[in-house]
Amino acid sequence: MTKNILLLAHLDESGNGLPKAAGEALGAAVELAKQLNASLSIGLIGGDVQAAADSVANSGAQRLLAVMGSDFAQPRFASDLLAAEALCRTASADLILAPATSRFLRALPGLAHRLNGRVDTHITSIQVVDGAVCATRWFYRQRIEGVFQRDARPWILLLDSGCHEAYCGPSGKAAIEEIAVALPSEARRTTIAGIRAPKSDSQTIRPDAALLFVAGAGWTKKQPDGKSHPEQAESLILGFLRASGASLGGSKSLVDQSGENQAVLGFMTHLNQVGQTGATPRHPKGLSTCCHGEEPHVVGWRFINERRAINLDPNCGWARGKADVLYVADAFEVMAKVNDLLKKPQS
Amino acid sequence: MTPVGPAPPAAIDRQQMDVDIACVGFGPAMGGFLTTLSRSLLNPDGSPRLESSCLPGTPLQVICYERADGLGFGVSGAVTRGRGIRRSFPELDLAQIPMATPVKQEKLVYLLDPTGASKRSFALRAADKLIRTFGSFIGCREDALELPFIPSFMQKHDGFVMSLGQFNQWVAEHLTSSGLLQIWPGTPVSAPLIEDRAVKGIRLADQGTALDGTPQDGFLPGMDIRAALTVVGDGPVGAVGRGIDAHFGLPAGHEHSEWALGMKMVIELREDSGLEAGTVLHTFGFPEPEIFGFLYVHPDRLASVGIFIPSWFRSPVRTAYRYLQHFVLHPYLWRHLQGGTLKSWGAKSLQESGRRGEPFLVGNGYARIGEGSGSTNVLSGSGVDEAWTTGAQLAEAVVELLEKKLPFTRQNLEDTYVRRRRASWVDRESRVAADSRNGFPHGLLSGLFGMALAGFTGGRVVIPPPSSRQKGASLEERCGARIPPAELQKLKDEAAERSLPLHDQIMNRCGWPEIPFDGKLLISQQDALLTGGSVQAPPGYANHVAFLRPDVCRNCEPKLCVEMCSGQAISRGESGVPQFDREKCIFCGACLWNCRADEAGEPANIDFRAGAGGLHSALN
Amino acid sequence: MSNGYHIVVCGSVVPDPLQTLEPIETPAGPALKNEMLLPAVLDPWAAHALYEAANLAAHAAGSKVWLVSLGAKAKLRQVMMTIAQKVSFELVPIDGPASGFADAHATAALLAEAIQSITGLDRSRLLLFGGWESASRGAGVTMQLIGERLGILDQFQGVDQLRVQPDGAFEILERIEGGRHQVSLCQGPPALFGWATGNLPEPRNNPQIGMANMRAIMPALQRAKTAAPAPDAIRYRSASPPKQQRQTRIVKNLSAEEIAREIVAWIEKA
Repeated sequence: MTKNILLLAHLDESGNGLPKAAGEALGAAVELAKQLNASLSIGLIGGDVQAAADSVANSGAQRLLAVMGSDFAQPRFASDLLAAEALCRTASADLILAPATSRFLRALPGLAHRLNGRVDTHITSIQVVDGAVCATRWFYRQRIEGVFQRDARPWILLLDSGCHEAYCGPSGKAAIEEIAVALPSEARRTTIAGIRAPKSDSQTIRPDAALLFVAGAGWTKKQPDGKSHPEQAESLILGFLRASGASLGGSKSLVDQSGENQAVLGFMTHLNQVGQTGATPRHPKGLSTCCHGEEPHVVGWRFINERRAINLDPNCGWARGKADVLYVADAFEVMAKVNDLLKKPQS
Repeated sequence: MTPVGPAPPAAIDRQQMDVDIACVGFGPAMGGFLTTLSRSLLNPDGSPRLESSCLPGTPLQVICYERADGLGFGVSGAVTRGRGIRRSFPELDLAQIPMATPVKQEKLVYLLDPTGASKRSFALRAADKLIRTFGSFIGCREDALELPFIPSFMQKHDGFVMSLGQFNQWVAEHLTSSGLLQIWPGTPVSAPLIEDRAVKGIRLADQGTALDGTPQDGFLPGMDIRAALTVVGDGPVGAVGRGIDAHFGLPAGHEHSEWALGMKMVIELREDSGLEAGTVLHTFGFPEPEIFGFLYVHPDRLASVGIFIPSWFRSPVRTAYRYLQHFVLHPYLWRHLQGGTLKSWGAKSLQESGRRGEPFLVGNGYARIGEGSGSTNVLSGSGVDEAWTTGAQLAEAVVELLEKKLPFTRQNLEDTYVRRRRASWVDRESRVAADSRNGFPHGLLSGLFGMALAGFTGGRVVIPPPSSRQKGASLEERCGARIPPAELQKLKDEAAERSLPLHDQIMNRCGWPEIPFDGKLLISQQDALLTGGSVQAPPGYANHVAFLRPDVCRNCEPKLCVEMCSGQAISRGESGVPQFDREKCIFCGACLWNCRADEAGEPANIDFRAGAGGLHSALN
Repeated sequence: MSNGYHIVVCGSVVPDPLQTLEPIETPAGPALKNEMLLPAVLDPWAAHALYEAANLAAHAAGSKVWLVSLGAKAKLRQVMMTIAQKVSFELVPIDGPASGFADAHATAALLAEAIQSITGLDRSRLLLFGGWESASRGAGVTMQLIGERLGILDQFQGVDQLRVQPDGAFEILERIEGGRHQVSLCQGPPALFGWATGNLPEPRNNPQIGMANMRAIMPALQRAKTAAPAPDAIRYRSASPPKQQRQTRIVKNLSAEEIAREIVAWIEKA
């Protein structure tokens, strides 16, 4: 029987608000608290959490707890874990919801051990079935969807971004219960030196983009003239990304090519990989090109809503049944035309 | 030291490692060798029985290298009588080997042509007409005639059906659990090391190279593994076996003239397929009279279904994949296979010269076992058990020599291994089979007659071999009656322009129906490459298929290497020289024996070298 | 560092990610159909961790690498044959379930116990490596749970780079949202690193490494203890492959221009 739900969140990188994923996790927590008739608390971690707390002041949470201060401003395993532990113990929570951000994915599994509880991550939905809380997540790289429950409490559930409607309510003046946590010296052995990101004009990964553009190994393969045209491929892809604002994904064989002394696309790194050992990003639309027979159609596309593909094989079993539309055409030709059209103002 | 094979960059400082026995290729022959040998390595008290001479004081050092990424990636569903395998495992419990089961029923089936597209001789057409006319009396159903009996020399009803991949894995597990010998997958061997007419070991393939073999960052020259005995079991297209043949030649009168490409699918059958585990079907007659087929039913609703395209099938557009799909679609089989799902797929070249292709079985420092040693029996259609047995025979010989502390000289190996082999059923039966297929180049009926003649007379009466080596038919010869020359030329030009193989267009034009792709069982060839595994082409190795003399390729039409490539890895390249994409190569080796330069009296223009990767599926 | 690192890599076996996987129901919960038939590989991220460990050990004299691996003995044996030629390590095998449906907490307890029982392991020099996720469970929690059990307070996940500074401190790049990296500095061991793909190429096969490794690995596998994880802490209501099969519209006969128009209209539709 779930009595106390705690929503854990950390501040976003600006240090003012909450990340989008935290709003979504709060949305799920509010809903769940209602269904289970449980009390809801919110626990915040960050430098100065007042503004963020104000933004959720009317969410219906009974308590607004916080561990704050400069020691807790930055993502670090030891300090995040100490803060989360203090919040959970104070809230006496038996169900803890949190966004599956990189910061919490690092720290919260350890929390489960400290609280003698259990943790599950990458949750895509939480439901109450026959009075029991059931969580859903994917196994084997998004190939098998499992629905499961646990008896052990506290149970920590990290929700993937994009799986629940975000909490949306008016701001208020939040009364924060600050919990003092002293950071011991052994928790200060790690310091955060900053963030390294590609220059903004060469940033190709855009999690909030409406479209994921997936490039397959076909872009670097020999074309009908017997030659490969990596420069042309590069300019077509970059041109499209600039014009459309899409995020770029690549198949494993494409991002692996740099080790093979093949013609490679210079801007493509392992961070772009989707499917297999890469990401499974969430975007409303996806367009795959030159991916015949490659993984993106299976795993990398799992969370793409509308899917279209361009490749040369009408019988491509990897697009059929998985894409909404398969254009049988040469992606070099089509993308050149697409770029032209995107540059021109549409009538 | 002279390694045989592609010339390596000069003056490379290679590491060297000494072992007692170096083995190449982990297939059934090597399974038989290592299984038998491993049982003699220890005394009952666990102390080493055979001591290493390269590392005195330690047990015998035995190492085996296999090109494929896994030890279970052999490409064959098999039915075998398992005489040699059962001798090694008297208590064999097939339930311990996934996909293995005893043969429950065996049928030999003649398949008629339901499409009208098959190219049949006048005599065969007449026979087909008779069968159809009297079909209801003689049991002709679903365009097929189940023969009332199977010749005794072909029967396998006392044997078992298995997946060679799973069997190899099972054997490897037994072998490696002791830690007494080492088997390394993912390690191609590029060449034998030959010195003073003796094989002194093997050279592993270079790593860290560009596709053309040029050293790059992280270059690791292939190590020389020196050994007192090199056991060659790398099959008919292996680099070490072919390297030895190239160096020492074949015995007088022997040649590797007959080949076949075996291609098959592993299909998960629908619930009510009507096929019982242990069912074995041998077929002939369709999709072309020259093409034999099979269907073996494993436990758990899995079946291996495949065809053999022999070298005497004189079509220049002999694509195994398209024919395999037509085979699957034959009404006699389709009633069982419809609704199934393709789980795995693969192809392999079979050396079908049998005894006539037998190389020197031994020499100073080396011995040949398995298919590459000519052990496959072309009359009984059996190779796995024969291969296993030759391996076991060599192991017994090796133990005898080691116990007597005799060196692995040609003479000593002749006196022990070859003597055992000659005295065994493997050799006896291969003598019967040696000339059994001489009739096939003249047609199906004379081929079958020749087989029966040889089989029933114990090889004493046979059809004489063809007087000269057969050449492949030209497109015009093959299709002239069906496609007007101008149209044929147009098809050729279109294929050349679009860098595509010709076979699909030609088959369509000859009346073969389009394949009704269903996304499950009937899928494109590229999807087959990717289903139930994938082709692996690990980086850092040179391309293993090379076209040696561009001018020869440029002038060669039609390009059989392109038409016959199982993975569509060879395509028509720029200026007429084929190009090779190793990410699609499944190492079937068909390009090697389909190179037409050979027919023109020149040495084959394709070099099939040691390479890493290949098909990645254990269901085969 | 004069005495080098003691690097323990946790890495399990998973079915080759390229195979088709189907779930089945068993009395013990969900499992993969024909799991023992599927070729196994070392989990791809754990493999990266192992290569990074070997690389780090090669640059810090006196270092040693262990690989702690939980899986069915037969599968571990298969996998060792593909990786033991690549880098030197000592295997600490645990014969037990490596299923993606097995509970991470029980798995972590088994692995932590195995690490604690490694003779000669110096905790002050310990670097605990593993994949940040696995290709089976894909949860990314096991490493942290082991770290907690071993009392390691400096933990990093999604690591793509670990550089040892002249003073012995580590500079670590961890993947964060938006294709970026967080840069952290850590004073040194003990620390835990859940690796993403890193930047190292797969090491070459080296027969001498293989020969030396296997002399110890196969006997270790023979001796591997069978471990049963703690009873189910997780109860599955269902495990199913994605149901949705899309009706794919195949567009064959449009010109590139027409296709481009259609695509642009689709992209611009809200």
